[in-house]
Amino acid sequence: MPDYALELSNLSRHFYLKNGAFKEPTLLKAVDGISLRIRPGETLGLVGESGCGKSTLAKMILGLLEPTDGDVLVNDKVRGASSRLAMARQLQPIFQDPYSSLNPRKTIEKIIRLPLQLHKVGDSNSQRKAVKEISDLVGLPERLLKQYPGQLSGGQRQRVAIARALILRPSILVCDEPTSALDVSVQAQILNLLMDLKKELNLTYLFISHNLGVVEHLVDRVAVMYRGKLVEQGTREEIFHHAKHPYTQALLSSVLTPDPALGVPEVLDSSSWDKAS
Amino acid sequence: MKRILEVKNLQVDLPTANGTLRAVRGIDLHVNQGEMLCIVGESGCGKSMTSMALMGLLPKRAAITAEAMEFDGMDLLSLSKKERNQVRGMRMSMIFQEPMTSLNPSYTLGNQLCEGIIKHKGLSREKAKERAVYLLERAGVPYPEKRLNQYPHQLSGGLRQRVMIAMALMCEPDLIIADEPTTALDVTIQAQILRLIRELQQEFGTAVIFITHDLGVVARIADRVAVMYAGQVVETASAEALFANPLHPYTQGLLNCIPIPGKTKPGSHLASIPGVVPSLIGELKGCAFENRCSVSTSECRRRTPNLAIKPSSADHQVRCPEVSLSFQEAV
Repeated sequence: MPDYALELSNLSRHFYLKNGAFKEPTLLKAVDGISLRIRPGETLGLVGESGCGKSTLAKMILGLLEPTDGDVLVNDKVRGASSRLAMARQLQPIFQDPYSSLNPRKTIEKIIRLPLQLHKVGDSNSQRKAVKEISDLVGLPERLLKQYPGQLSGGQRQRVAIARALILRPSILVCDEPTSALDVSVQAQILNLLMDLKKELNLTYLFISHNLGVVEHLVDRVAVMYRGKLVEQGTREEIFHHAKHPYTQALLSSVLTPDPALGVPEVLDSSSWDKAS
Repeated sequence: MKRILEVKNLQVDLPTANGTLRAVRGIDLHVNQGEMLCIVGESGCGKSMTSMALMGLLPKRAAITAEAMEFDGMDLLSLSKKERNQVRGMRMSMIFQEPMTSLNPSYTLGNQLCEGIIKHKGLSREKAKERAVYLLERAGVPYPEKRLNQYPHQLSGGLRQRVMIAMALMCEPDLIIADEPTTALDVTIQAQILRLIRELQQEFGTAVIFITHDLGVVARIADRVAVMYAGQVVETASAEALFANPLHPYTQGLLNCIPIPGKTKPGSHLASIPGVVPSLIGELKGCAFENRCSVSTSECRRRTPNLAIKPSSADHQVRCPEVSLSFQEAV
């Protein structure tokens, strides 16, 4: 058993924004020196506003984007030291929008089976069997396997994405806003499924979300990002009940619980946490 | 209190390749002067179709029928195109979800802010600019004079939504329809924008129809709430009554499946509503929620339920035969 399922050491990604042919390009530090550790079986929630670098971070962890500086360690091995295929067997993504993350021209069975074919696991009979097993596990009825993504509802599509991510039996899932494109009644089904799968398969989650209610429900530890930097991290208890950074406090105070007596909270202006970070 | 809008039995049908899509199936709504009515429901429940029908922005192929659709005593359905244009923009205005796409990228903000009031009220360009600067300032946009010459892409999403709000208020409308105005924004910005809408609404006495899928938002800003499901209003009540005592199984289900910090036990199994929304193509027989409902009986499949009024409070209405049965027993 590795010490850490996922370890980021001083990870950075900088972009140069062009300002025209004769002007100096602007430096954008999308992710700026982030160090994080996730233990096997742990769920880490990553929160922050849009444009804070959450998705850039996820892309570097998944190997879709090269870091400018720093390392990603998956199960104690540096990403890049082993092949992409070997990494993909340990780490899989679930994306936000199940409407664009599935190929509309392939049947559900083909979509779920593709990782097995790419990795040349088993023959076609055993692959079919594996697809049925995993569909069962994520609650996809067998009759849907012959259909196309366009014929499925949002919740069913997200189940397909989860099945595809799990069919290689990875140990880590990177979930980038997995329920924000879904209706609340469906969101609850998918969150329950993710929690059940974690227990059953002993998975490690990096759970990226802007919905703090969902994050509190699901995660063991929370990391808060602001403008490419990590401003605070801690256990669920520490962050949700004893947050120190003004940005974390502002995030928490803007959560709207369905309580009509409370009204709309007054949220501080960003200048107060810009100073602190 | 004066009723600014009264809608009775509104229906919107859209022809599709697979048959007629009955997007809105007979809804009754009213909005009082200066009131915030929230319409809440999941995607495809007809909430946006309702708002577009009220604004007269539906495509031509959509068939709209209603027993009544009266705005301040005017029958909206019988207005000519020209009269409708006068009402829209001047007395009713709209704030859309995506501040990225609802502003025209090739005109300055000043141009877009002033266009309506110059056209509708015949104001001079200078007077219109004065009002635009005043409203931008009230909407919390820094350096309002400078903004008039800027283009939408030069502003952040939150600022653009503030500009949209200022634009909606330009002609002092009696009714603003806000269709998911904060869904595309970050949570901290969302709270600021909601506060702003509430403040300006109370200051100017404007009635607002606020359309959203987020029950948290509804609870914090609504005076009254209408919960929609499959093109119908299934429950309507004051915000306090609805959240203190939700009656319809769908409303109860929606409230149960949101994890609430401090209330829901972390890691516990969340309640969910099984199944999916029925197809809205063609007629629906019986109650639309029947196949997902925990209290449905065989009767629910046969008879389409009507809105029944809760005996103790006339404002609280619910479309469920099981619940209305308990009303009769109580009386």
